[in-house]
Amino acid sequence: MTDTDIIVVGAGPAGSCAAIAAAKAGKRVVLIERGPFPGSKNMYGGVIYPRILDELIPDWFEHAPIQRWIVRRSTMLLSDTGALNIDYRSNAWGQAPYNGATAYRPDFDNWLAQQAVAAGAELICSTTVTGLLRDAQGRINGITTDRPDGDLTASVVIACDGVNSFIAKDAGLYKAVDASNYTLGVKETLSLPKNVIDERFGVRDNQGVDIEILGGTSGVNGGGFIYTNLDTIALGVVLKLPKLSAQKKRPEEIIAELKRHPAIAPLIEGAEVIEYSAHLIPEAGLDMMPKMVADGLLVAGDAAALCLAAGIWLEGVNFAMASGMYAGQSAVQAITAGNTTASGLQSYTKKLNETFVLKDHKKLRKIPHLVLSDRVQHKYPGFVTGIMERMFRVENPHPKPGVRRILREERKKAGISLMDLVRDALTGLKGFG
Amino acid sequence: MTIAVCLKWINASGQTDIDDDRFMGFSYADQAALEYALRIAENTNDEVIVVTAGPVGAEAVLRDAIARGAQRAVRIDIDRSHDSAVIAQAIAQVVAHCSLIWCGDYSSDRGSGSVPAFIAAELSFAQALGLVEIQVPADSLHPIRALRRLDGGRREQLEIRGQAVISVEGSTARLRRASLKGSMAANKQAIDIVTVNQVATETPPTRAYRPRARAVAAPVGNSALDRVRQITDTSSSKGHGETVHLEPREAAELIVSKLREWGYQS
Amino acid sequence: MSLESLRAANNIERDATWAEMSFQERIDTAEFRIHERAHITVNGDSCRGCTTRECVVACPANLFVPTSDGGILFNYENCFECGTCYMVCNEAGAITWTYPEGGYGIVFHRT
Repeated sequence: MTDTDIIVVGAGPAGSCAAIAAAKAGKRVVLIERGPFPGSKNMYGGVIYPRILDELIPDWFEHAPIQRWIVRRSTMLLSDTGALNIDYRSNAWGQAPYNGATAYRPDFDNWLAQQAVAAGAELICSTTVTGLLRDAQGRINGITTDRPDGDLTASVVIACDGVNSFIAKDAGLYKAVDASNYTLGVKETLSLPKNVIDERFGVRDNQGVDIEILGGTSGVNGGGFIYTNLDTIALGVVLKLPKLSAQKKRPEEIIAELKRHPAIAPLIEGAEVIEYSAHLIPEAGLDMMPKMVADGLLVAGDAAALCLAAGIWLEGVNFAMASGMYAGQSAVQAITAGNTTASGLQSYTKKLNETFVLKDHKKLRKIPHLVLSDRVQHKYPGFVTGIMERMFRVENPHPKPGVRRILREERKKAGISLMDLVRDALTGLKGFG
Repeated sequence: MTIAVCLKWINASGQTDIDDDRFMGFSYADQAALEYALRIAENTNDEVIVVTAGPVGAEAVLRDAIARGAQRAVRIDIDRSHDSAVIAQAIAQVVAHCSLIWCGDYSSDRGSGSVPAFIAAELSFAQALGLVEIQVPADSLHPIRALRRLDGGRREQLEIRGQAVISVEGSTARLRRASLKGSMAANKQAIDIVTVNQVATETPPTRAYRPRARAVAAPVGNSALDRVRQITDTSSSKGHGETVHLEPREAAELIVSKLREWGYQS
Repeated sequence: MSLESLRAANNIERDATWAEMSFQERIDTAEFRIHERAHITVNGDSCRGCTTRECVVACPANLFVPTSDGGILFNYENCFECGTCYMVCNEAGAITWTYPEGGYGIVFHRT
């Protein structure tokens, strides 16, 4: 007899959704969190797409602690002095059924974990899981923790222990861990009065803005982001790990330079840093994903590298919630069927393959590499803003130059060969499907 | 017998202006008090009851204490903005039957350490406040020996028998961790709730301290400086202070009589 | 381009709009609940042979400081628990990294 049916490690979006799904099906669930409360260890780069919660919490949008609903979605290309901003607005996204939302993760994750408690899961905080228990056949049947008398047994363990997932590594599900698959996200939460944010970003009430930035990271491959909370702005950069030290620039210096950019500075003028934070991101998509199933073990969320970093799409929380939910459901099925070996848990992989969780990743497989490639990072922002600069600068009495000439000259100035341009365009076209 | 531990529900992140259940906890001093109560109870087979005053959210610290080994928990449902005398009165009603009442010397949210003293006064218990070292007795037959901090780096040795309120500094002991199974059991434990109506909320009358006036003869002297010196005593070295060697009871009587003589006590 | 001319070209006033904060001020905006056990350990011998010192540049909490004798001085108290240091470290096994004791370490508020 095990202590419980299912142990979920980590009360983030993946873990809480796994716990809700399993508890709703009547299984005994223990949800273990190493922070003093769920969400206390979590930060992110901006937007939650919570529609996946419809299945578990039909009225989520009435209760979730949301800061603002995204109605403006921008992609910004920065050169040293110029900025090209592609900005789409849809006020419909500010009403049910909604699209994306900003939230403080210590609020949102805590709320989601409380939904798991309400569904019958038992939440244990301030407890770090230190390893896995295995039975005589070597199949996983529990965890060890840093608490006295801290072993706990279960039929299935669901590892939602985040990007560093020591559980997935301990179970041997990851091949070698390669630093180049990860990016470091650092972020400042900047305080400004709500009316000032509303005016600067052209929104009102609880409408919000999310800006994803390419360029502006001081020569380190990565990107930036700005999004609005109710009375704070979050501004951060995402930096590719191996490139970071090569540039001899520290993360906070790169943030400071982004804040000085002429397109960014006016947005955050007068704002005070009220919280600084950092976190790793599993950025390489399908190419870095571990095996998600072992005997008695499922892996979900960041622990399974289920984070989509595909340039114009940057999503993680929705992938975590979905994979967690499917893991919870598969664990329930396997326990009910009396087979919790890897083969008994295969319905999880099947479900991931059938849904957006892996379909999006397969479709966009090449995009994370393209976005973080040196050409896209260092040449295209200058190339594109250079074109814009010349297209929209009126040099009277000189006549306008032809667009083809501008393209050719700017391409040469940026040092991009026609071959590379065509190749990247094709990769992009194929990759974005 | 029963040992009580008073735990103040405070913001554990050091910000006194945020009342958010997620960031709440209890001071290191309260943690040390709980640890000593648990250690003593292990040797004496006493029951440990933990008490806090505050809203439902405060029950988290009680469950935490139960997970670490306390047997019973009481939450006094009272507005925490009451002054410490009222809070102490409320706590005193709940812990009146206990042999020992352990408290932190003062809470880290700018507490002044008055609640333990008020509880002792309310119950007419002995008090041993601000302890820096405690020897846990081997059984209930032996007294608790402790050191108390005095001014000037001095220490006072205390021997605690019978009913007493004890407060300890946070650095004296590290609170044990709860076992995993203990935490799971604590989640299900019932917590007794004492509502605010059951406790008296009247502030006891207090009077500002004023020493009695003492008649001083006008100074005589040739220069203003001499007269000032005479009043302020700066020039004289009359050797204030008197060293006596007496039994504690006689020493106490002498101190009280001197205080009367000097007008500090009526 | 000089910083001055850059500022002039882009109409940026001298840093009057927002002052840079010191690193200490920056770190002080986050809450850390510090446990007595260090959850990071560094093998000094491996560091002495390391030329790249990736951790010194990459750690967002600036926890790693090179010493004059070629070693690395570190502290663990203000750690965001991100894992960057052991990921970028070139010397196998030089940085041992675990999560801190449950309930301790970084506590985010508005992230």
